[in-house]
Amino acid sequence: MNLKPAKLQQQQKQETTQHAGAQQATREFPSPEELLRHDAEQIEVPRALANRVAESIAREPRPARSWWRRLFSRP
Amino acid sequence: MSRPVEAKPSLVSDEARRGEPLPLSARASAGDEPACSGGKPRWASPEFGSIYEAHSRQIYYLALRFLGDPTQAEDATHDVFLKAYRKLGEFRGDSAMRTWLYRITINHCKNLLQTWHQRHMVNNADDSLWETAPASTDSPLRVLEIKELGQRIQNTLAVVSDEYRLLLLLVADQQMSYEEIAALTEQSADAVRGKLHRARKAFIAQFQKSA
Repeated sequence: MNLKPAKLQQQQKQETTQHAGAQQATREFPSPEELLRHDAEQIEVPRALANRVAESIAREPRPARSWWRRLFSRP
Repeated sequence: MSRPVEAKPSLVSDEARRGEPLPLSARASAGDEPACSGGKPRWASPEFGSIYEAHSRQIYYLALRFLGDPTQAEDATHDVFLKAYRKLGEFRGDSAMRTWLYRITINHCKNLLQTWHQRHMVNNADDSLWETAPASTDSPLRVLEIKELGQRIQNTLAVVSDEYRLLLLLVADQQMSYEEIAALTEQSADAVRGKLHRARKAFIAQFQKSA
Protein backbone atom coordinates (compact mmCIF):
# COMPACT_ATOMS: atom_id res chain seq x y z
CA MET A 1 0.00 0.00 0.00
CA ASN A 2 1.49 3.31 -0.97
CA LEU A 3 -1.37 5.41 0.26
CA LYS A 4 -0.04 8.30 2.26
CA PRO A 5 -1.55 9.01 5.61
CA ALA A 6 -4.07 11.86 5.36
CA LYS A 7 -2.06 14.02 7.74
CA LEU A 8 1.10 13.78 5.64
CA GLN A 9 -0.82 14.58 2.45
CA GLN A 10 -2.34 17.62 4.09
CA GLN A 11 1.05 18.78 5.29
CA GLN A 12 2.56 18.41 1.81
CA LYS A 13 -0.35 20.32 0.29
CA GLN A 14 0.11 23.10 2.81
CA GLU A 15 3.84 23.31 2.04
CA THR A 16 3.13 23.50 -1.70
CA THR A 17 0.63 26.30 -1.13
CA GLN A 18 3.06 28.20 1.06
CA HIS A 19 5.82 27.80 -1.54
CA ALA A 20 3.53 29.11 -4.28
CA GLY A 21 2.61 32.03 -2.08
CA ALA A 22 6.27 32.86 -1.50
CA GLN A 23 6.92 32.76 -5.23
CA GLN A 24 4.03 35.14 -5.86
CA ALA A 25 5.40 37.54 -3.27
CA THR A 26 8.82 37.67 -4.92
CA ARG A 27 9.30 40.69 -7.11
CA GLU A 28 12.26 42.03 -8.96
CA PHE A 29 13.04 45.66 -9.58
CA PRO A 30 15.75 46.41 -12.12
CA SER A 31 16.84 49.63 -10.41
CA PRO A 32 16.30 51.64 -7.22
CA GLU A 33 14.15 54.16 -9.08
CA GLU A 34 11.82 51.38 -10.23
CA LEU A 35 11.54 50.26 -6.65
CA LEU A 36 10.87 53.82 -5.47
CA ARG A 37 8.32 54.30 -8.25
CA HIS A 38 6.49 51.21 -7.07
CA ASP A 39 6.73 52.45 -3.48
CA ALA A 40 5.33 55.87 -4.43
CA GLU A 41 2.32 54.22 -6.03
CA GLN A 42 1.47 52.48 -2.76
CA ILE A 43 1.55 55.62 -0.66
CA GLU A 44 -1.73 57.42 -0.11
CA VAL A 45 -1.75 61.13 0.60
CA PRO A 46 -3.62 61.56 3.90
CA ARG A 47 -7.23 62.41 2.99
CA ALA A 48 -7.46 65.10 5.65
CA LEU A 49 -4.53 66.95 4.15
CA ALA A 50 -6.45 68.38 1.20
CA ASN A 51 -9.03 69.79 3.61
CA ARG A 52 -6.33 71.19 5.82
CA VAL A 53 -4.62 72.94 2.91
CA ALA A 54 -7.97 74.24 1.60
CA GLU A 55 -8.80 75.63 5.05
CA SER A 56 -5.45 77.38 5.36
CA ILE A 57 -5.81 78.88 1.91
CA ALA A 58 -9.34 80.07 2.67
CA ARG A 59 -7.86 82.13 5.52
CA GLU A 60 -5.20 83.67 3.26
CA PRO A 61 -5.65 86.90 1.30
CA ARG A 62 -5.74 86.30 -2.43
CA PRO A 63 -2.18 86.25 -3.78
CA ALA A 64 -1.17 89.25 -5.84
CA ARG A 65 -1.10 88.58 -9.56
CA SER A 66 2.24 89.05 -11.18
CA TRP A 67 2.80 92.12 -13.39
CA TRP A 68 3.13 89.97 -16.52
CA ARG A 69 -0.18 88.21 -15.86
CA ARG A 70 -1.91 91.56 -15.32
CA LEU A 71 -0.35 92.83 -18.53
CA PHE A 72 -1.50 89.87 -20.62
CA SER A 73 -4.98 89.75 -19.17
CA ARG A 74 -5.76 93.34 -20.19
CA PRO A 75 -8.50 93.60 -22.77
CA MET B 1 16.55 64.19 -22.01
CA SER B 2 13.25 62.60 -21.16
CA ARG B 3 13.14 59.12 -19.81
CA PRO B 4 10.86 56.39 -21.16
CA VAL B 5 7.60 55.69 -19.41
CA GLU B 6 7.39 52.22 -17.90
CA ALA B 7 4.48 49.93 -17.18
CA LYS B 8 2.92 50.25 -13.77
CA PRO B 9 3.48 47.24 -11.50
CA SER B 10 0.53 45.66 -9.74
CA LEU B 11 -0.57 47.09 -6.43
CA VAL B 12 0.14 45.50 -3.10
CA SER B 13 -2.84 44.72 -0.90
CA ASP B 14 -3.80 47.04 1.94
CA GLU B 15 -2.92 44.35 4.41
CA ALA B 16 0.55 44.18 2.99
CA ARG B 17 1.06 47.85 3.71
CA ARG B 18 0.78 47.53 7.46
CA GLY B 19 3.32 49.69 9.24
CA GLU B 20 3.36 52.24 6.46
CA PRO B 21 1.56 55.57 6.50
CA LEU B 22 -2.14 55.05 6.01
CA PRO B 23 -4.80 57.44 4.84
CA LEU B 24 -4.93 59.58 7.90
CA SER B 25 -8.63 60.29 8.14
CA ALA B 26 -8.32 59.79 11.88
CA ARG B 27 -5.72 62.50 11.99
CA ALA B 28 -7.94 65.16 10.52
CA SER B 29 -6.97 68.70 11.28
CA ALA B 30 -8.69 70.41 14.13
CA GLY B 31 -9.95 73.14 11.84
CA ASP B 32 -12.91 75.05 13.13
CA GLU B 33 -14.09 76.00 9.66
CA PRO B 34 -16.94 73.94 8.28
CA ALA B 35 -15.68 74.80 4.78
CA CYS B 36 -14.01 71.44 4.47
CA SER B 37 -16.32 69.11 6.26
CA GLY B 38 -17.78 66.11 4.49
CA GLY B 39 -15.14 64.70 2.19
CA LYS B 40 -14.17 66.89 -0.74
CA PRO B 41 -12.36 70.11 0.10
CA ARG B 42 -13.92 73.38 -1.02
CA TRP B 43 -11.11 75.36 -2.55
CA ALA B 44 -11.21 79.13 -2.31
CA SER B 45 -9.28 79.00 -5.55
CA PRO B 46 -10.38 76.15 -7.85
CA GLU B 47 -7.26 76.73 -9.94
CA PHE B 48 -5.13 76.01 -6.90
CA GLY B 49 -7.28 73.00 -6.07
CA SER B 50 -6.34 71.56 -9.46
CA ILE B 51 -2.67 72.20 -8.74
CA TYR B 52 -3.00 70.37 -5.43
CA GLU B 53 -4.76 67.42 -7.06
CA ALA B 54 -2.15 67.14 -9.78
CA HIS B 55 0.96 67.30 -7.60
CA SER B 56 0.16 66.51 -3.95
CA ARG B 57 0.94 62.81 -4.27
CA GLN B 58 4.51 63.34 -5.49
CA ILE B 59 5.15 66.21 -3.10
CA TYR B 60 3.94 64.14 -0.15
CA TYR B 61 6.00 61.14 -1.26
CA LEU B 62 9.17 63.21 -1.58
CA ALA B 63 8.59 64.74 1.86
CA LEU B 64 7.78 61.34 3.37
CA ARG B 65 10.84 59.56 2.10
CA PHE B 66 13.10 62.57 2.58
CA LEU B 67 12.04 63.22 6.16
CA GLY B 68 11.16 59.64 7.07
CA ASP B 69 8.16 60.52 9.19
CA PRO B 70 4.50 60.55 8.03
CA THR B 71 3.41 63.29 10.43
CA GLN B 72 6.31 65.55 9.46
CA ALA B 73 5.67 64.79 5.80
CA GLU B 74 2.02 65.78 6.17
CA ASP B 75 2.95 69.03 7.88
CA ALA B 76 5.65 69.72 5.29
CA THR B 77 3.26 69.10 2.38
CA HIS B 78 0.74 71.46 3.95
CA ASP B 79 3.39 74.15 4.40
CA VAL B 80 4.72 73.66 0.86
CA PHE B 81 1.30 74.19 -0.72
CA LEU B 82 0.60 77.16 1.50
CA LYS B 83 3.92 78.73 0.48
CA ALA B 84 3.14 77.92 -3.15
CA TYR B 85 -0.23 79.65 -2.85
CA ARG B 86 1.36 82.76 -1.34
CA LYS B 87 4.05 82.83 -4.04
CA LEU B 88 1.82 81.90 -6.95
CA GLY B 89 2.19 85.40 -8.37
CA GLU B 90 5.95 84.84 -8.53
CA PHE B 91 5.64 81.68 -10.60
CA ARG B 92 6.55 82.80 -14.09
CA GLY B 93 6.20 79.50 -15.85
CA ASP B 94 9.93 79.31 -16.66
CA SER B 95 9.90 75.80 -15.25
CA ALA B 96 7.14 73.24 -14.91
CA MET B 97 4.79 73.60 -11.95
CA ARG B 98 6.03 70.25 -10.60
CA THR B 99 9.63 71.47 -10.67
CA TRP B 100 8.68 74.71 -8.93
CA LEU B 101 6.82 72.81 -6.20
CA TYR B 102 9.74 70.42 -5.80
CA ARG B 103 12.05 73.38 -5.28
CA ILE B 104 9.88 74.67 -2.44
CA THR B 105 9.65 71.15 -0.98
CA ILE B 106 13.38 70.53 -1.11
CA ASN B 107 14.19 73.85 0.58
CA HIS B 108 11.54 73.26 3.21
CA CYS B 109 12.65 69.69 3.97
CA LYS B 110 16.32 70.66 4.04
CA ASN B 111 15.56 73.39 6.56
CA LEU B 112 13.66 70.92 8.71
CA LEU B 113 16.46 68.35 8.52
CA GLN B 114 19.10 70.96 9.25
CA THR B 115 17.27 71.99 12.41
CA TRP B 116 16.86 68.33 13.34
CA HIS B 117 20.52 67.47 12.66
CA GLN B 118 21.68 70.47 14.66
CA ARG B 119 19.55 69.30 17.55
CA HIS B 120 20.61 65.66 17.37
CA MET B 121 24.11 65.90 15.87
CA VAL B 122 23.50 63.01 13.47
CA ASN B 123 25.56 62.59 10.32
CA ASN B 124 24.82 60.50 7.27
CA ALA B 125 27.04 57.51 6.70
CA ASP B 126 30.21 58.26 4.81
CA ASP B 127 29.61 57.70 1.10
CA SER B 128 33.05 56.17 0.70
CA LEU B 129 31.64 53.24 2.63
CA TRP B 130 29.53 52.30 -0.38
CA GLU B 131 32.25 52.80 -2.96
CA THR B 132 33.82 49.47 -1.99
CA ALA B 133 30.54 47.68 -1.30
CA PRO B 134 30.02 44.60 -3.50
CA ALA B 135 26.88 45.85 -5.25
CA SER B 136 26.32 45.93 -8.95
CA THR B 137 23.90 48.47 -10.37
CA ASP B 138 22.99 45.86 -13.01
CA SER B 139 21.67 43.30 -10.55
CA PRO B 140 17.93 43.40 -9.88
CA LEU B 141 16.61 44.17 -6.43
CA ARG B 142 14.76 41.08 -5.30
CA VAL B 143 12.02 41.58 -2.79
CA LEU B 144 10.49 38.65 -0.96
CA GLU B 145 8.64 40.30 1.86
CA ILE B 146 6.63 42.96 0.09
CA LYS B 147 4.78 43.92 3.26
CA GLU B 148 7.99 45.16 4.84
CA LEU B 149 9.03 46.98 1.70
CA GLY B 150 8.11 50.52 2.71
CA GLN B 151 10.00 50.34 5.96
CA ARG B 152 12.97 48.69 4.26
CA ILE B 153 13.09 51.45 1.65
CA GLN B 154 12.87 54.07 4.38
CA ASN B 155 15.68 52.44 6.35
CA THR B 156 17.82 52.30 3.23
CA LEU B 157 17.19 55.92 2.29
CA ALA B 158 17.96 56.99 5.85
CA VAL B 159 21.50 55.68 5.52
CA VAL B 160 22.50 57.12 2.14
CA SER B 161 23.49 60.78 1.99
CA ASP B 162 20.87 63.52 1.70
CA GLU B 163 22.11 64.30 -1.80
CA TYR B 164 21.88 60.71 -3.04
CA ARG B 165 18.47 60.27 -1.42
CA LEU B 166 17.16 63.39 -3.13
CA LEU B 167 18.52 62.40 -6.54
CA LEU B 168 17.01 58.92 -6.31
CA LEU B 169 13.64 60.30 -5.28
CA LEU B 170 13.61 62.90 -8.05
CA VAL B 171 14.67 60.48 -10.77
CA ALA B 172 11.92 58.10 -9.66
CA ASP B 173 9.41 60.72 -10.81
CA GLN B 174 9.02 60.05 -14.51
CA GLN B 175 7.88 63.60 -15.16
CA MET B 176 11.35 64.85 -14.24
CA SER B 177 14.10 64.98 -16.85
CA TYR B 178 17.80 64.89 -15.95
CA GLU B 179 18.01 68.54 -16.99
CA GLU B 180 15.21 69.51 -14.61
CA ILE B 181 16.83 67.53 -11.79
CA ALA B 182 20.13 69.21 -12.59
CA ALA B 183 18.50 72.65 -12.40
CA LEU B 184 16.77 71.77 -9.14
CA THR B 185 19.93 70.49 -7.51
CA GLU B 186 22.10 73.25 -9.02
CA GLN B 187 24.55 71.12 -10.98
CA SER B 188 25.07 69.90 -14.53
CA ALA B 189 23.09 67.03 -16.01
CA ASP B 190 26.35 65.09 -16.41
CA ALA B 191 27.06 65.54 -12.70
CA VAL B 192 23.56 64.25 -11.95
CA ARG B 193 24.19 61.15 -14.07
CA GLY B 194 27.50 60.46 -12.36
CA LYS B 195 26.12 60.93 -8.89
CA LEU B 196 23.07 58.85 -9.70
CA HIS B 197 25.31 55.95 -10.61
CA ARG B 198 26.95 56.16 -7.18
CA ALA B 199 23.60 56.75 -5.49
CA ARG B 200 22.17 53.57 -7.06
CA LYS B 201 25.19 51.62 -5.92
CA ALA B 202 24.88 52.96 -2.38
CA PHE B 203 21.18 52.22 -2.31
CA ILE B 204 21.54 48.66 -3.63
CA ALA B 205 24.37 47.82 -1.24
CA GLN B 206 22.39 49.02 1.74
CA PHE B 207 19.10 47.54 0.54
CA GLN B 208 20.67 44.11 0.10
CA LYS B 209 22.21 44.34 3.53
CA SER B 210 18.80 44.97 5.03
CA ALA B 211 17.28 41.71 3.62
